[in-house]
Amino acid sequence: MPQVPALPVVGSFAQRLLATDLPDLPTAKRNETVGFVAHRIDTLPSFTRFGVLVLGSVFRTLLAVPGGWTAVSVLMKLPLPLVAEYPRLIRSLSFAYVWEHWPSTTPTGAST
Amino acid sequence: MPPDVPVQRATVAMDAEVLVIGSGAGGATTASVLAEAGFDVLVVEEGEWVEQGSVVPFSLEQMDRQYRAGGVTVALGLPSIAYTEGRCAGGGTEVNSGLYWRPPGDVLERWRDQFQIVDFDPADLLAIADEVERDISVCTAPGAYSEPSEVLRRGADKLGWRNGEIPRWMSYPSADDAAGGQRQSMTRTYLPRAMRAGARLAVGCRVDRLVTRHGTAASALTTLADGSKGTITFRHVFVCGGAIQSPALLQRSGIHGHIGRSLAVHPTVKLAARFADSLNVPDDVPVHQVKEFAPHLSFGGSASNPGLVALTLLDQWPTFRNAITQWEQMSVYYAAITSEGLGKVRSVPHMKDPIVTYGLTWRDRALLRSGLARLALLMLEAGALEVYPSFKGAPSVRNRRDVATMQQAFSATKASVMTVHLCSTVPMGELEGRTGADSFGRVHGCTNIFVNDASLLPTAPGVNPQASVMAFAIRNARRFAATGGRRA
Repeated sequence: MPQVPALPVVGSFAQRLLATDLPDLPTAKRNETVGFVAHRIDTLPSFTRFGVLVLGSVFRTLLAVPGGWTAVSVLMKLPLPLVAEYPRLIRSLSFAYVWEHWPSTTPTGAST
Repeated sequence: MPPDVPVQRATVAMDAEVLVIGSGAGGATTASVLAEAGFDVLVVEEGEWVEQGSVVPFSLEQMDRQYRAGGVTVALGLPSIAYTEGRCAGGGTEVNSGLYWRPPGDVLERWRDQFQIVDFDPADLLAIADEVERDISVCTAPGAYSEPSEVLRRGADKLGWRNGEIPRWMSYPSADDAAGGQRQSMTRTYLPRAMRAGARLAVGCRVDRLVTRHGTAASALTTLADGSKGTITFRHVFVCGGAIQSPALLQRSGIHGHIGRSLAVHPTVKLAARFADSLNVPDDVPVHQVKEFAPHLSFGGSASNPGLVALTLLDQWPTFRNAITQWEQMSVYYAAITSEGLGKVRSVPHMKDPIVTYGLTWRDRALLRSGLARLALLMLEAGALEVYPSFKGAPSVRNRRDVATMQQAFSATKASVMTVHLCSTVPMGELEGRTGADSFGRVHGCTNIFVNDASLLPTAPGVNPQASVMAFAIRNARRFAATGGRRA
């Protein structure tokens, strides 16, 4: 059975999260990082991948409505175990990629 | 150095007298013993042969090429525990730190007595450990220690805590070149040895399930790297896929019993410490460990490339983020515990991968808390300017008072907990109801299906388990060779 690619599901949230956490990260690097995140999610073990894509769909739907980012921000602050894992996963993969590939990146994402 | 006998790509139809599934510490040693005893051995490996030195250790590229799921695997729970599995020729031995701990004698005696492992003298296993240590060149590092390693030694010495250098399976080009060491992993040692003795290694081959009838397996259904389906026929099979994949394969094959019900791990929590001078070593780990509180609690150093430093700061990014600009003055350390918790590996119909869960006990959580606090104290004593614990809501630590504040704020549920030592999902022994295989790895209720990897260890040993895995695998394979696979 062909699997749903992760990028369309997680891409918009990953873009927005990185733009918030690392506002000075150049667009090309942000796109590259989001591509890496999606690739890694595509290779997750099947059950984990399923769970991540379900959460990704919820976050994507929220982002699509007006004021969606505010709702997502509130959701991320709630101590909901599995829900909290989703932004943590996106951040973990993104930050590991950014600082491994561009170690002189500043805390806001700017290149030095 | 590729083996002098070529590695094969798996094909749709293969056969062997003995099929070994997995080529890590358990599979490679099993194949070596059986091939040298004259058996026709086929080793199949899901991953690829990756030449040492062709990828940077602990990098994302290495995770892509040599780890299962790019290194992103997790045992669900509160908290979930991230773990990693090697998925390449040589398995975990190709990607781990190469630190070597022989199995503690008291642990071996406890396993023998509590799990009723018969015909088992701990002294015999330690004699096999002697052989293993020669075969894989277990030795201490020549020359000066790296500064991240000195940090552990210096801090522990100031506190009067027991510590020491842990030997590694390495060969060094000269007496003062610790950085030029080459890991003596399975692709350098037991796999070439097995192949010289006639074993075949086929990479890019996942075993989906064993076809069994009345406890006897005659073939394995496979999926090759290009997606095509295949079959391997055999007389005997050794399942050596590690503590997650081995029970999952048995379950997919309709074998249940005490399989996958008692996953044991060494949970760890981490911190990053910043010092006045540059000390970061991106592609290696410290060789010192602190064992003052062992076996319950141990401290050591982790890989610390800038990406991994950023990961350690991530849980408290808003307040810790400025530290990332000084990653060269930082290194990452861990506190590992011997857990009383338990995990499960469950295969689900129509799912390729199993669901893994793990539950920490209250005692585990308390131990993680005190472990992180003691590790922070050790860092301060070693001269750290600031310590960044890896949990949500963590304060930075600059003095002893901060250590107490940090300890109060810690909760395992808010921490990034991880592990690399997975075992005990098919425990060996004769004790009914608590073991999945007999005293030599034969799966209970089966005639020709053996497990010979970390799954067999009855509990987490409290130290790096790879030496225990190799010693038990050799013991069990020798028994098989001596009896021709018949019950003794």
